[in-house]
Amino acid sequence: MAAVPVTCVRLTTSMHTTQIVGRTSTMKLVPMGRVKSGFPSLRTSRFQISCSAKPETLNKVCEVVKTQLALASDSVVEPDTKFAALGADSLDTVEIVMTLEEEFGISVEEENSQNITTVQEAADLIEKLVEKKNASEPA
Amino acid sequence: MPYPSIQARFEIATVDEFFKVMFVIICFYYFLIQSEMEIEDGVQRWLVNTSNWDPSPHQFSIAMSVIPQQQHSSITRFVKIEDRKRALVSRLLQYALVHQLIGIPFHEIAINRTAQGKPYLEKHQNVKFPNFNFNVSHHGDYVAIASEPICLVGLDIVSCFIPGKETVSDFIRNFSSYFSRLEWEKIVNAGSDEDVLDVFFRYWCLKEAFVKALGTGVGYKLDHVEFHHKDWTNIYVKVDGDVLNDWSFWLSELQGRHRIAVARGHPRIATENFKKTLKQSHFDNDFYKLGFHLPNPVFVMRTVEELCSLFPHMELNA
Repeated sequence: MAAVPVTCVRLTTSMHTTQIVGRTSTMKLVPMGRVKSGFPSLRTSRFQISCSAKPETLNKVCEVVKTQLALASDSVVEPDTKFAALGADSLDTVEIVMTLEEEFGISVEEENSQNITTVQEAADLIEKLVEKKNASEPA
Repeated sequence: MPYPSIQARFEIATVDEFFKVMFVIICFYYFLIQSEMEIEDGVQRWLVNTSNWDPSPHQFSIAMSVIPQQQHSSITRFVKIEDRKRALVSRLLQYALVHQLIGIPFHEIAINRTAQGKPYLEKHQNVKFPNFNFNVSHHGDYVAIASEPICLVGLDIVSCFIPGKETVSDFIRNFSSYFSRLEWEKIVNAGSDEDVLDVFFRYWCLKEAFVKALGTGVGYKLDHVEFHHKDWTNIYVKVDGDVLNDWSFWLSELQGRHRIAVARGHPRIATENFKKTLKQSHFDNDFYKLGFHLPNPVFVMRTVEELCSLFPHMELNA
């Protein structure tokens, strides 16, 4: 296990009373490396946070998602929150992927686009594709 | 003998035998008609306008309490209240329909999801329909459910919106890889921006209903799936150039610029893990035709209050 510093403000609401509990945590213990199941679209599988995606990438992806889903610019989108949970329908999901392709100058294969269900997954795939693109460019 | 011709046909020797045979014939037709009627009952189409439902947090939690506890997180995971409402109503529809149609006691109803997220009813002894399955959809102001007793069913609602931050042609270009060349041409050449969007949403709605019936996600090589129609009736689909004769589609409009599409067809092309949830995915041709030619009724409007009244011990307006 490795300690990865993550700052986040978590908002929780209960169904019976609206309580806003703001909490800033500075340390979050996460396992190193990724544990990924063989079924990309498996909803119940847990995608653990890896330390591969840069914060700038994560932030850019957050911005795209917030714009697409009409979320307030000061709202916090957690890296592992599903787009669907934020209100994304099938049209939104396609547009998010297309916008990310444009922003980062990459091309996402259709089978991979199904794997992009959270900000973290998007950021990780983007960095992988950008790296591949840079590596294959003629010197 | 009073009826010589019948006597000859059935080799009836006595009056007694005659009445026995008539009794059997009448019983046979009675059960045939009954079972045909019952089969037809398996076709349900329910619709709820959630924009008309404005529950207090207390009323919302009462409504949520009829859904099994372990499913609550699937509702509360949604950030926006409108999404939570739609998720809750979707589940209310599923449980209410199964209970009312099949008569399974609420606490015995087990609805799970496949790996791709398609909900299905776990096998239960009460299920008399040969291949009961259902599909739900929600978008905009509506949540709906459709069920079928024999064929697979898929359902999609789309709220036709006008793209805010980009032009119509920029908007639709995002989705060009999901349409066949023919469909794409019909979309872009539809006329005004309004016409283009209209045709776009119609095709999108049909495609979604189809993939949802099959249990796959959006990404099922949709450019190989091509819809054909005559003024948006007699809708059929071609996959990889071949017409699927065992699939039917209907598209209608709901108030407030919404479209609703129903897909009905043969389970043989469904995903493997959805097929596993069905009683049968292979049919006798005649039997399949029976299911395929059942009526496709209009959607029946239900209110959330009506649905909740089906659940025991629920005082929604308390």
